[in-house]
Amino acid sequence: MVGASAGATGSLPRLARLPETGPSAPRVAPPALLEAAVVTHGLIAPEYWRLVLDAPAIARTVEPGQFAMLTVARGEESWPVLPRPMAIYGWDRAGGRIEIVYRVVGEGTRRLTRWSCGDRIVTVGPLGRGFVLLPAAQRIVLLGRGIGTCSLTALAGVAAARGIAVHALVSARHSDALVGGEAYRAAGAVEVREVVDTDGSSGVGPVGAWLAENCRTGVDQIYACGSDRLLRLALEMARATGTGVQVSLEAHMACGLGFCHGCATGHPGLVEESPLVCRDGPVFRHLPSAPVA
Amino acid sequence: MIGRGAVDLSVELPRGLRLDNPILVASGTFGYGVEYSEVVDIQRLGAICCKGTTLRPRVGNITPRVTETPAGMLNSIGLQNPGVDAVVRKYGPTWQGWHVPVIVNVAGESIDDYVEVARRLDGMPGVAGIELNISCPNVGRGGLQFAIDAEAAGAVTAAVRRATELPLLVKLSPNVADVRPIARAIEAAGADAITAINTLSGIAVGPGRRRPLLGNVYGGLSGPAIKPVALRIVYEVAQVVDIPIIAIGGVAELGDVLDYLAVGAIGVQVGTVLFADPTLPVRLIDELADECRRLGLNSYLPLVGTALPKRSSPMSAPSSKGVEYRP
Repeated sequence: MVGASAGATGSLPRLARLPETGPSAPRVAPPALLEAAVVTHGLIAPEYWRLVLDAPAIARTVEPGQFAMLTVARGEESWPVLPRPMAIYGWDRAGGRIEIVYRVVGEGTRRLTRWSCGDRIVTVGPLGRGFVLLPAAQRIVLLGRGIGTCSLTALAGVAAARGIAVHALVSARHSDALVGGEAYRAAGAVEVREVVDTDGSSGVGPVGAWLAENCRTGVDQIYACGSDRLLRLALEMARATGTGVQVSLEAHMACGLGFCHGCATGHPGLVEESPLVCRDGPVFRHLPSAPVA
Repeated sequence: MIGRGAVDLSVELPRGLRLDNPILVASGTFGYGVEYSEVVDIQRLGAICCKGTTLRPRVGNITPRVTETPAGMLNSIGLQNPGVDAVVRKYGPTWQGWHVPVIVNVAGESIDDYVEVARRLDGMPGVAGIELNISCPNVGRGGLQFAIDAEAAGAVTAAVRRATELPLLVKLSPNVADVRPIARAIEAAGADAITAINTLSGIAVGPGRRRPLLGNVYGGLSGPAIKPVALRIVYEVAQVVDIPIIAIGGVAELGDVLDYLAVGAIGVQVGTVLFADPTLPVRLIDELADECRRLGLNSYLPLVGTALPKRSSPMSAPSSKGVEYRP
């Protein structure tokens, strides 16, 4: 789940909701609406901004992979009309703060950069169903590309704290666009592999070889966000090895709460409404047995 | 400092539909009311118009379904809903316990559809009224066809009127050349109130300019961008009908509420702006009361219709000055 302005990821076949109950169901607390004060806001790399909000009611219950809706319009402005969904990059439960890293991709995110310390942003969260760490997991792989990595960083922290070995791949167009590597290292990931398009290291060949090597030695779950190409690699590996895959999707949204039905994952010809990215996701799973188109 | 004089914002609509205040929330932007109940004091609202409800469950349109536009948004959800029976079963008991009235927005493809949904809602605990959605531009068959023709609008209104004792509101489409004959036909057919307006039909162009952006091609435009159009339609309708009018179209601040009252609306629905500002309707209630106090009024009703031309006689034709697109 990343900022909606990044554009919708195409829907993928055989998407399944995470279970509603049981050990592999995500924990979901009711969302809170608050006017969250900006604590820190600044550029961390070209196009990438980091925003820290004082949002105790969200920080208290947020789980990895969940998101918040941020209202970008200020005061009497009537644009942007829609709030923006933002992955929650990290949090400080005791301090009551949440952290968001976003990329400026359009007018909405450009205007978001104007908020400064002390300003209050209408924020609703935590929203959606996040990633699930299986109870017996010992080793997981995280595949993130570009801003998509920001949905995965919090998962690394929770996993590492449980003693799970985290192997993270950070992929980007170029080295300036590599975000999340530091967060992974700080969280205690055992391996952080950063790859970029400019030197070819992010290609399907090298990344596929790295993933295969990891899976050969045993991986309990693969988590992906931000790239259909990475997801396809993960699904190939899942089919070969039986490893489960969880993916976080992005979509344009209006309500973020599941009632406007703007963000359906959308397969034409379905006889029932397809899952909603905001309420049923943003994290979905691909069962190991599911055929991959 | 604003005085603390008592202001009564309540309003009585026909058939005993009493609203605590004239600030409602618009269909499609507030779900079934329950979704915002965690974060907003929904019991303070004048009424909640729930998501469009059809006889049978409906799958929504092909995605993408929403996109932002200057001061507005386009949506083509396609009336996704679980069908009237599921809606009543799931939400009726909750609504019954609420102070805030819930008005069920009803959509259909045929007169029989509308009538059957109304019949099933009639007498259902928790349902305070029906808003007939004869003007959804996002579904291929039905919906809009009833809103663009006075005879069809009157026929569907009359048929639903016979099927239910519930307060009946009918929602007008702006996608017509002249809305006044349609409004008159709806009134004559027994509607208790008119709501205006539904979204304006529009499109956006997709990435790379290879095709329209929305999966359904067409979407409905809403938000502050449509306010002048909605004002014009309320202004026109207010001069040709005697039943109450509830205005919808880009309400974002108190000034918008006051503008709609001035052109003859007795209430407003807040819609698209809710997504970015969920507490707006509740704030508007307080701000309207403050405004009344400032003006020394104990009711907001004297603010209704102040910008309408004075009617010289009940039979006199309304002015169409400024409506220059009409032949």
